[in-house]
Amino acid sequence: MSQDQTASDPVYVPVSTTGFGPPSPVPPPPPSSGVAKLIVPVAIGGAVALTLGVYGRLHEPTFVAVNLAGFSGPLAAKAWLTTGAAFFAVVQLVTALAMYGKLGITAPAWSGTVHRWSGRIAFLLAVPVAIHCLYAVGFSTAEPRVLVHSLLGCFFFGAFTVKMLVLTRKGVPGWALPLLGGLVFTGLVGLWLTSSLWFFTNVGVTF
Amino acid sequence: MRYKGPILTLAAGLVVAAVLMVMNLNVTRNRDARAAAAEGAATSAPTATAEPTPPPTTEPPAPPAPPATYAGKVNGGRATVAIATKEGQAIAYLCDGKSVEAWLAGTATNGELLLTGADSASLTGVFGNGKAEGTIKAEGRSWEFTVPVVEPPSGLYRAAENVRNAQFVGGWIVVNGEQVGLGVLGGTVTPVPPVDPAAGTVLIDGIPVSVNPVDGTTR
Repeated sequence: MSQDQTASDPVYVPVSTTGFGPPSPVPPPPPSSGVAKLIVPVAIGGAVALTLGVYGRLHEPTFVAVNLAGFSGPLAAKAWLTTGAAFFAVVQLVTALAMYGKLGITAPAWSGTVHRWSGRIAFLLAVPVAIHCLYAVGFSTAEPRVLVHSLLGCFFFGAFTVKMLVLTRKGVPGWALPLLGGLVFTGLVGLWLTSSLWFFTNVGVTF
Repeated sequence: MRYKGPILTLAAGLVVAAVLMVMNLNVTRNRDARAAAAEGAATSAPTATAEPTPPPTTEPPAPPAPPATYAGKVNGGRATVAIATKEGQAIAYLCDGKSVEAWLAGTATNGELLLTGADSASLTGVFGNGKAEGTIKAEGRSWEFTVPVVEPPSGLYRAAENVRNAQFVGGWIVVNGEQVGLGVLGGTVTPVPPVDPAAGTVLIDGIPVSVNPVDGTTR
């Protein structure tokens, strides 16, 4: 890790495009048109987050759902799936920092591939967790940890949707992807802290 | 197309979510069907899956319902309640896993629950059609609940033994692998380790204590 501030702060989010941007020689397009390209992805992502929250609130919890074989229960399965997702999220952070030249090394050619696939794996690990949460438990405000976890869960999938949609658009501002990546990463780490860490400290490190 | 990858990623997540949801609907449909059969529900129409319909106000018929345990979080989620019913008798346990816990005993007849416990704890409510709902009062507070029938190994578990010359009574409510429990050791509420319903033993203060499933007639 370099002495750069970004390396020590995992959720560092640049607010200026000065000296920052994808490793591309193409100059950034005028900001006004670039920001406009974010409107539709952000609107769709917001709709995703809202839909998850409303469904989780309205759907009557069943306390029953399909469970993953090999675990003692759904909580253990979810704790470990989330831990897996969080691991790949760290891979995401490191490869993203490398690609943006923030590690003080030349990013290896395979950084992009590792970044894409670690992200896909993390996302696909998180989906079954979310389905179980939404179907068997629901959006809950019962206690601060659970409320924060519910909000972060909706936020994470909304932010991830925005990130994916923005990836498909050309000419978006250079700060958009690092910002969205940082938000998705922060959301997932928050989810891990409010679920897996709670499980491991309150129930135990069990499978 | 170079930029199709992210869309495929989102689509893959959506497909996984859809498949899991269909499997979940089957799980709850089977459970509701079992619950309806267990209740001997006279209605010809099976209950719809996970619909937040208001409870029917009609009283179920008089013959004693088969044994069933109802368990789940109270409204607001701050505590969990389990009600075991068998042959018109009922045992209930309220527990928040931290400090509040209460055992109650009473009757479950004609679709009505009427239970009492120490320190003027009480539980009143109705049961039938795969769920129980009502009000439970303990330690000067009151909780409302609507909880479904659960199937073993989910249910209510209890331990009552002497541990190092002190009376220990512990209760666990297991709902689909998630559980909450508390114990009273020598008059003091104490946290308890999670119970494995298959093993039926927990260590309290280093001493193995046997944990048994509770039905409505356990006394």
